[in-house]
Amino acid sequence: MASVSLSNVTKTFGTANIIKGVDLSVGDGELVVFVGPSGCGKSTLLRMISGLEEISGGEIHLGDRRVDHLPASDRDIAMVFQSYALYPHMTVAENIGFPLKMAGKSKREIADKTREIGDVLQLLPLFDRTPKQLSGGQRQRVAIGRALARDPKIILLDEPLSNLDAALRVDMRMELARLHRELGATMIYVTHDQVEAMTMADRIVVLRDGVVEQVGSPLDLYRHPVNQFVAGFIGSPKMNFWSARSDADGRLVLPAGMALSLPGALDPDQAVTVGVRPEHFVLATDDASAVLRGNVLSVEHLGSDTFVQLDCGFGDPGQIDINVRLAGIVPVRIGDGVSLSVAAVENWHLFDADGVRLDISK
Amino acid sequence: MQASRNKKICVYLGAALLALVIATPVLWLFIMSISSSTHLTTLPLQWWPDEPTFENYRSLLIYAENTPSQSFLYGIRNSVIIALAATGVSIAAAIPAAYSFSRLPGKRRKNLLYAVIAIFMLPPVAIVLPMYTIMNALGLLNTHFALIIVYCSILLPFTTWLLKSNFDTIPSDLDEAPIIDGANRVQAIWYVILPIARPALGAAVMMAVLLAWDEFFYGLLFTNDIRAKTITVAIADLAAGRVADYGLISAAGILAAVPPVVLAFFMQKTLVSGLASGSVKG
Repeated sequence: MASVSLSNVTKTFGTANIIKGVDLSVGDGELVVFVGPSGCGKSTLLRMISGLEEISGGEIHLGDRRVDHLPASDRDIAMVFQSYALYPHMTVAENIGFPLKMAGKSKREIADKTREIGDVLQLLPLFDRTPKQLSGGQRQRVAIGRALARDPKIILLDEPLSNLDAALRVDMRMELARLHRELGATMIYVTHDQVEAMTMADRIVVLRDGVVEQVGSPLDLYRHPVNQFVAGFIGSPKMNFWSARSDADGRLVLPAGMALSLPGALDPDQAVTVGVRPEHFVLATDDASAVLRGNVLSVEHLGSDTFVQLDCGFGDPGQIDINVRLAGIVPVRIGDGVSLSVAAVENWHLFDADGVRLDISK
Repeated sequence: MQASRNKKICVYLGAALLALVIATPVLWLFIMSISSSTHLTTLPLQWWPDEPTFENYRSLLIYAENTPSQSFLYGIRNSVIIALAATGVSIAAAIPAAYSFSRLPGKRRKNLLYAVIAIFMLPPVAIVLPMYTIMNALGLLNTHFALIIVYCSILLPFTTWLLKSNFDTIPSDLDEAPIIDGANRVQAIWYVILPIARPALGAAVMMAVLLAWDEFFYGLLFTNDIRAKTITVAIADLAAGRVADYGLISAAGILAAVPPVVLAFFMQKTLVSGLASGSVKG
């Protein structure tokens, strides 16, 4: 197993800059997840680490070895493809043994190692089948088995679960997490599904337009997003934003009329974007603590939670301005007027005109 | 139900019509081949000979010098050598060429592909004279080698195009996966791409052998005796004398069709198997 480090890695296709100078280091045995909207360059970055895509500038090191000039086959990296990319004419056993065959191992070694992997992934009963006789989840496990065969230093996974149905995805997510714990392998995982990112990652790398927006642990990103993009991208349902100004004393003026003192955050009369996560609202117990008032547009009762959509008059009438997630069963009905407050000061997020986070000192 | 039965009837009618169009000349050829020459030249025409005879086949297959059998058997030998060699060489060259056209980037590469096809479309008459001059200068006229080279120039564009279109349908993940698994490009092609493309490869071999087997024009011009004459030329020679023995010619035609038919029989399993399913999602 090994660490990965990228320094000032770039990629251009013609005149288009796809990856614009990425610096990143992934520790030995760490599971790092690349997330970002489609087209952000996360898959390209993964392919550059794998060697399937050449880099246009910068350096990539695996452990202490510089690899950016090496072909993919010499980098000692395994990869699980989104499409699985199983060899259709080979059996499950042959698929898993293929990397060993390429490494010139003896038939006996291949057989032993293949059985060992088949045992871990519960694939032994399927060893003589071809990929087309397997279900989606089984194919996925074979693809992972093939990646494990060579005891690679790094395992790259390119949206490995996106072709599975929801229930299977949860199972495979747990299985991958278990494998990661047991093998201690360094893994880089690309997904656009932030639930996968939040649940599996040691650290998350949020990418946008070929730039790393933030790197941090899942909860770090959740609590302290460095900008409005990360704040909106991490968390589901997504964070609520609205525009506001501070008053002459630097206090945040809230839609309900109250002015909130957030020490150290704001200059007098500054335009800001306010962000509050849906789960950080509570129903206001009295008028004085209300920060927002609105009319209920729709209510979804899930039992464990109640999702409420409010029109707070920010935009056109009837437009959803704020999503709220209230714990438990809350008796609100469409058309009700509701007052909301925010429990703790750290649940406020403020961003300046460029979307950069403004720190609220405690 | 009614609609599907009608559809079925139409399909079978179509197939029967096609079979009729294709089979009738062959059947007529066979009838001619078992008739004596007197039968073939008497009027009114007899549809089925009174005394079917395999004499024509015997005189072609039993070797004797300075007889039609000599030129026929040598023709078969030459055709087998030339068709197989030309097919082998062109398939061996077409595989990397097709892979390159299908997988590797570059605008010039694509232009080259169209140039190849454009050359393929030139009528043979347009290039036969310079080719003849070149072969003559190299002292290659009337050799297997000359025809193998010429046939390669016909087969290569065709096989390349055919394989390229098939490689295009193989997901690119399937040649990236073996590279990640430690294979080099050649191993990736050998162990993964070619087995997946086996039906297309079979079709390309089939078509290449048939094209070379049936070629007449260059065979006629570049050869002049039994050392290199191909079967098509040998059959034409049977008709070129002062007396044309139509029974003999027909028998030669039937026999000349046997090797390709045998080849097709053994390859049909390869041709109809669909291997690419199940490898990737969908």
